[in-house]
Amino acid sequence: MGECSLRRMAVLGLSVALINMGTPAIGHAAIITTPTYVAAAQRDADLTNVTAALNRADVRDRMVALGVDPARVESRLSTMTDAELRELSTQFDQLPAGGDILALIGVVFIVLLILELVGVIDIFKKT
Amino acid sequence: MRIAVRLTTVAAAIALAALQGCASRGPTIESRLDGAARRHVELDSTPFFPQSEYQCGPAALATVLGASGVEVTPDDLAAKVYIPERHGSLQAEMIAATRGYDRLAVVLDGGLDAVLREIAAGNPVLVLQNLGVAAVPFWHYAVVVGFDVDRDSLILRSGADKRKHLSAGRFNYGWSLAHNWAVVVVGPDSIPATASAERYVAAAAGLEAAKRDDAALIAYRTAHERWPADSTALLGIGNISYAEGHLADAEAAYREVLTLAEHNAAARNNLAQVLLERGDPEGALTEILRARSDLADARLTAMLAATESEIRRALATPGPETSDERASNK
Repeated sequence: MGECSLRRMAVLGLSVALINMGTPAIGHAAIITTPTYVAAAQRDADLTNVTAALNRADVRDRMVALGVDPARVESRLSTMTDAELRELSTQFDQLPAGGDILALIGVVFIVLLILELVGVIDIFKKT
Repeated sequence: MRIAVRLTTVAAAIALAALQGCASRGPTIESRLDGAARRHVELDSTPFFPQSEYQCGPAALATVLGASGVEVTPDDLAAKVYIPERHGSLQAEMIAATRGYDRLAVVLDGGLDAVLREIAAGNPVLVLQNLGVAAVPFWHYAVVVGFDVDRDSLILRSGADKRKHLSAGRFNYGWSLAHNWAVVVVGPDSIPATASAERYVAAAAGLEAAKRDDAALIAYRTAHERWPADSTALLGIGNISYAEGHLADAEAAYREVLTLAEHNAAARNNLAQVLLERGDPEGALTEILRARSDLADARLTAMLAATESEIRRALATPGPETSDERASNK
C-alpha cells in the first residue's frame, strides 16, 4: 500500500517533470525566480523541478487523505513556495497544526473531574 | 492500550497543572519594552471572530487579515487552511493563504520585544502557542492585540475570548514551546515595524510564487525604497517585469542588482536570458559565462547550464535576421 502510493507519486512527479522537459527551454524556463533565489540564499536543500513536483504530489496526496476537499487542494498548494512544499512533504506529521483548544479544555475538565471523584481535589463546590 | 493512553493524558494534565505554578518565569513586559512606548496599548479596532470547534486557525487568520483591510470570515478561510483529520491548521498554510488576498505574512524575529513593538506600531500579531507541554502539545493560534505593563500581561483575541489577559510569563512559556512563532500581516505597500529586509523580501517572494505579480511588484518596490542596498528586492522587480513582458525594465533592474552585487549569479543569469530575448545572443553568452564563473552555489548550476545551452542553440541556429542575410548572400 505504502509502496504503491510511493510509486504512484514518483510516476506522477516524473511525468510532470517530463512534460516540463518536453517544452523547450524558452522564456520562463531560464529565469531564476525570486523564491528560488531566496531558497538558495537560505541554503535550502534541493532546487530541482523534479523534486518540487514530487513534493507537490506528496503533499497533495497527504492532504486529501486527511480530509481536505480534493477539488480545493490544488488551489491551496498553488499559493505555496517550493520551499514550503518541501517542508510539508518531509515533515508533515511532525508539524504543529494549531486548533486543539477545545480538545484541551475537554481533557483538563475530564482530568479535574476524575481527581474530584477520586477525592484528590475539591474544586467543584457543592454548596 | 487505552489505559496507557489515558494514563499518559492524566500525567500530562498533572504536569500541565504543575506548570501553571512555575509558568511565571521569563522576561516581564516592562523589561522588554522600548522606553518610549506607552504602558498600556490595546488595538480595539481589531476584529474578533469567536472560534467554532478546532477553528482557531481560520479565526485568528481572519482577525489579522481583517486588521490589514481584508474582509473575510473564518468560514471562507477554513476551506483554505483547515485540515479536518488534523483538527487544525499548519503554519505554512496560514502564511500561504494570505497571499491570495495580496497580503504579506511577515515572520518576526526578536522575541517578545518585537511583538510589543508591533503592537505599539498598531499591528496585531498572529502567534502560535503550545497550551500543553512539549511531549503532549495542544497547538493554538491566537492574536496579540495589546499589552498592559502594570498587570504584566498581554491581551489576546483567543478562542472564544475577545480580550484574554495572559500574564507575560505564561504567554512566554506556551509561545516558546512553539518556537516564538509570530507573524504580522500587511498590505504590499507597508512594512511591519520590526521586519528585517530578508524576512520582508522573502514574504514578497511568496507573492511571486503564488503568481500575485501586481502585489509582489508593489512589495518589492516598497522594500527597495526602504532598503535601497538590498539586491534581492531589485531582483524581484526584474523578475516581475520579465514575467509581465517588460524586458527593458527587467534588464535595467538586473543591471542595478549587479552594480550592488556583481557576483550575483542569479541576476546575471536572468540578464543573459533577457539579452537573448532582446536579440543579443553574443551579449547573453558573455553574461552567462561570467555568471557560471561567479557561481558560488552549486544548486543553481543546472539552471545556469540550461540558460547557456539555450543561448548556444540560439547562436547556432540562425535567427530570422541571420537567415535573411544568408538568403541575400546567395
